[in-house]
Formats: sequence, structure tokens, C-alpha cells
Amino acid sequence: MLFAGIDIGSLTAEAVVLSDGKILGSEIMSVLPHPLDSAQEVLGRLCSKQGIQWRDIQYTVSTGYGREKLQAEGLAQENISEISCHGLGAWTLCPQVRTVIDIGGQDAKVIKIGAAGELENFVMNDKCAAGTGHFLEVMSRTLGVSLEELGPLSLGSRKPVEMSNRCTIYVETEVIHFLQRGVSKKDVAAGINRAMAERVLALARRVNPEREVMLTGGVAKNVAVKNELERMLNVKVVHAPIDPQVIGAFGAALFARRKAGAG
Amino acid sequence: MISLGCDIGSLFAKAVILDGDQLLAGRVLRTTGNIADEINGLVRAVIQEAGLKRDRVACLVGTGNGADLVPGADGVEDVVSCVGAASGYYLPEIQLCIDVGGQSTTALLLNPEGEVADFMRNDKCAAGSGRFLEVMSEKLKIGLAEIDRTVARSQNHIEISNQCGVFAESEVITHLNNGEPVPDIIAGVCASVARMVTAQGRRFGTAEHYTLTGGVAKIQTVARIIQEKLGGTFHPFPSDPQLAAAIGAALLGQSD
Repeated sequence: MLFAGIDIGSLTAEAVVLSDGKILGSEIMSVLPHPLDSAQEVLGRLCSKQGIQWRDIQYTVSTGYGREKLQAEGLAQENISEISCHGLGAWTLCPQVRTVIDIGGQDAKVIKIGAAGELENFVMNDKCAAGTGHFLEVMSRTLGVSLEELGPLSLGSRKPVEMSNRCTIYVETEVIHFLQRGVSKKDVAAGINRAMAERVLALARRVNPEREVMLTGGVAKNVAVKNELERMLNVKVVHAPIDPQVIGAFGAALFARRKAGAG
Repeated sequence: MISLGCDIGSLFAKAVILDGDQLLAGRVLRTTGNIADEINGLVRAVIQEAGLKRDRVACLVGTGNGADLVPGADGVEDVVSCVGAASGYYLPEIQLCIDVGGQSTTALLLNPEGEVADFMRNDKCAAGSGRFLEVMSEKLKIGLAEIDRTVARSQNHIEISNQCGVFAESEVITHLNNGEPVPDIIAGVCASVARMVTAQGRRFGTAEHYTLTGGVAKIQTVARIIQEKLGGTFHPFPSDPQLAAAIGAALLGQSD
């Protein structure tokens, strides 16, 4: 039996299909202007890659931006908050994890989960771009490197620059000044990743993160931010065995399986 | 006594020449890259504008976050002291001055002697700052000087719901892509700035008499909304409000 989860974010949309409790396949794409179109496209692509039909999917759960609308339009039978989905997804992958830090394109959440993967508590920042994926996006553009390069680039830095500002707009000006003064890109990149981690740290401290933490969302792919967070929070960041960007959709698919009474 | 005050802010450098409390000349320059040369040129230009020779200037005082870059300065003053000195001297009736600069918004509480009794500053977040206005007007392809003229053509202002400058920028782009008129969008941007400035202005409670200084005070649309929201009596700064800190620096130079 097949179950699907669809996660529509601010920048990307993801879908995961489960078969007998195992991941059959996953898909990530940039969002389209309308969440309904994004949902149709991302699950459609996944189906054709896996050679399955949409109607073969027994139950679908939507999460993320526009999740209610997806359900109302019949693209999903149920919608569940991305906080619960990230929690269940992370816990299923690594049952020892009790804290999930999910950093998306326009928000960051620190989620605490119980022994059965259930949601216990969470804090969220969606008011300020500092500490979200958007911060890294602006900075990589200013630095003239791709978002994917930002993490590896900074690993070679011995002297990360220190940002005196927190605000994305002010840090952007600071980055320009560093480059004008001839500071190397890797040292600026390292300073950017550290500043990013510091904002997440401030959020995480509000809920007392447990020893084992899983990072989810797109920013989890930035190895330098992951290292900095591990050091600053003094925790062990557990490596997700699947792409950290699809864990929300994976959690949604797990909920679909539960709702259908299959797990 | 003739004194020169030079205020190096995050976006603009300002220089003035005072003869006693009379403003002889004032200049504003958007700084870009080579700031040391730019400040040198600015100081020379303001002396020339006043029709003076350099040796007639008895005292040169620097202020702002680039105060150390002012060449040949006789002293450096804190920018809050300077804004307080200028607004308290020319407007002895006020209790509050809200200074809105490129990267900070500061509420200054003045005592009956016109001295700074207390102040609160937001320099952590771009919301409500001059830089916020600049970023949004760049996206809308209008200059800061054109904002008021553009707003005059607005039929109804569009609410900008995000406080964060980066998120607000995305919002502005979405409105543009949706075909909303630029005057309506910039009107919404001005309202957003005014809302943040007003919140900072209320940090000391309500003030019956107040003024606005800093570059943002020159944007009439923003200043008008702040006045509507704050109530009380607004006292306009008697010269260009963007020059307030530089004027204060020059005043403080004379009293030393």
C-alpha cells in the first residue's frame, strides 16, 4: 500500500511516497506561485519517476504552507502541522532524538518530542529573517557563491570574521565592507555561517535542547552551520539517514500511513 | 566663534558650519566606498560654501559611527549628545526627540534644561530605519527624494505585514508582481516605517512636545503619519533635520 506526504515550504516543495512503511521515493522542487500547483507538480513528478499512478496512493497528508487548502481541494485527505510532521519524521529515523531543529527558507523551529515521537513543545521564529534560510540565501548572493557552496567554502577558514550586526540587512552591508577590504571569501563565509548558528542557538536555548539533536530543513545541508551548532549547543547533531529537506514530507507520509490504519 | 561639525553616519556623511548658533553652511553626502577621501572632500566643500578659509574654523568636532575618520578633528562627541544638544538648544520646549538615522532609531528624553536625561536606541533591526526605506525604494526604483511625490499619487495604501526588512522586501516584490501601483506600495512602506518609529518614540511614555531628526524626518509622508499617531505637539527642527547631529557637534565644540 502506498502513502504520500506533501510539504509546501516558502521556497521549495517536497513529496515522499511510502510503500510498506519504507520510502519508495522523494522529490524536491522550487515552489510555483500557487501551493496547489506546487503540490500537484511535486507529487506528479514523483509518481512518474516511480512508475506509479496517483490513484494508487491510498492516503495523502499535506503539511506546510497552504496545507489546509490542499486538503480542501482534495489533494490530501488530511493536513497536519509541519511541527508534528518534522517531529514524527525525525523520531522515526532516529528514535533516540528528542529535539529537532528545523530551519526552513523563512522560519526556524526548535521542536521537542516525547518517547513516542509526539510533540511536547516548540519555539519558532518567523518574524526575523536572521536565523532562517533566507539569511544564508541573501549572504551567498552577496558573496557571489551558490547556497550549496557556502558551507564547504567556510570549512577552510582559520579566521572567521565577526559580524557586529544581527539584522540580515545590516549584515549584508557588513559582508560588502569585508569584501571591499579584501578579506577572503572563506573567512567571510565562515563568519556568515557562525552568525546564522548564533541566531538558531538563541532560539534553541529557549527550550533546553536535549543531548541528541536532529537538524531538518534545507539549512541542515550546510555542514558549517551544523558544526557550529554542535559546538555552541554542546549537543550531538545526529545525521539524518535521508535528505534532511524531505523529513517534513516523510513525517506527513508517516501520518498518512497511521491515518489509514496501516501503522 | 566659528565651528565645524561633521557627522559620519552609516549611510550619509553630514557637515555644517556654525557661527555662534547661526548655520552658515550644511552639506549631506551619500557615502559609498572610499570614505576617508569622501569626508575630506565634504569638509572642504562645506568650508567653501560658507565662504571661509580653513583657518577661520576655530573648532572641528566629529560624531557618528565614523567619527574617527574625520580629518583634523579637535574632538569627538557621542551622537546622542549631539542630537540632544541641537534639539534641546533650538527647541527648548520639547521633552522628546526621535532621531531616525540610516541604521538606528533613537528616542531621546530631554530634561527642562534641554539636556539628555535618558535615551533608548534600536540599532539591532532594520525595521523603521532609513536603510529599510532605502532598500524598499530601490526595489520600487524610486529615489528617496521622490518618495513624497510618489505617495501623492497613491489611491489607497497597501499594508506591509512583515516587520522584518528582508521579509518586507519579498512582500514588496510580490505586490509589484501582482501589478499593484508603486505609489500604493511605497505609501505602505512609509506607514510601516512610521509605525516602528512611533513605537520607539513611545518607549518613554507620551510626550507633549517633541521633534523628529535624522534623514527619515525629511520624508514628509513618514513624518506626517508619526505626528498623527503620536498626538501631542510636533515642533519641526529649524533647519534640515538630517543635519541635527552635525549641528549639535558644532554647538558642543563652541561650549568646550
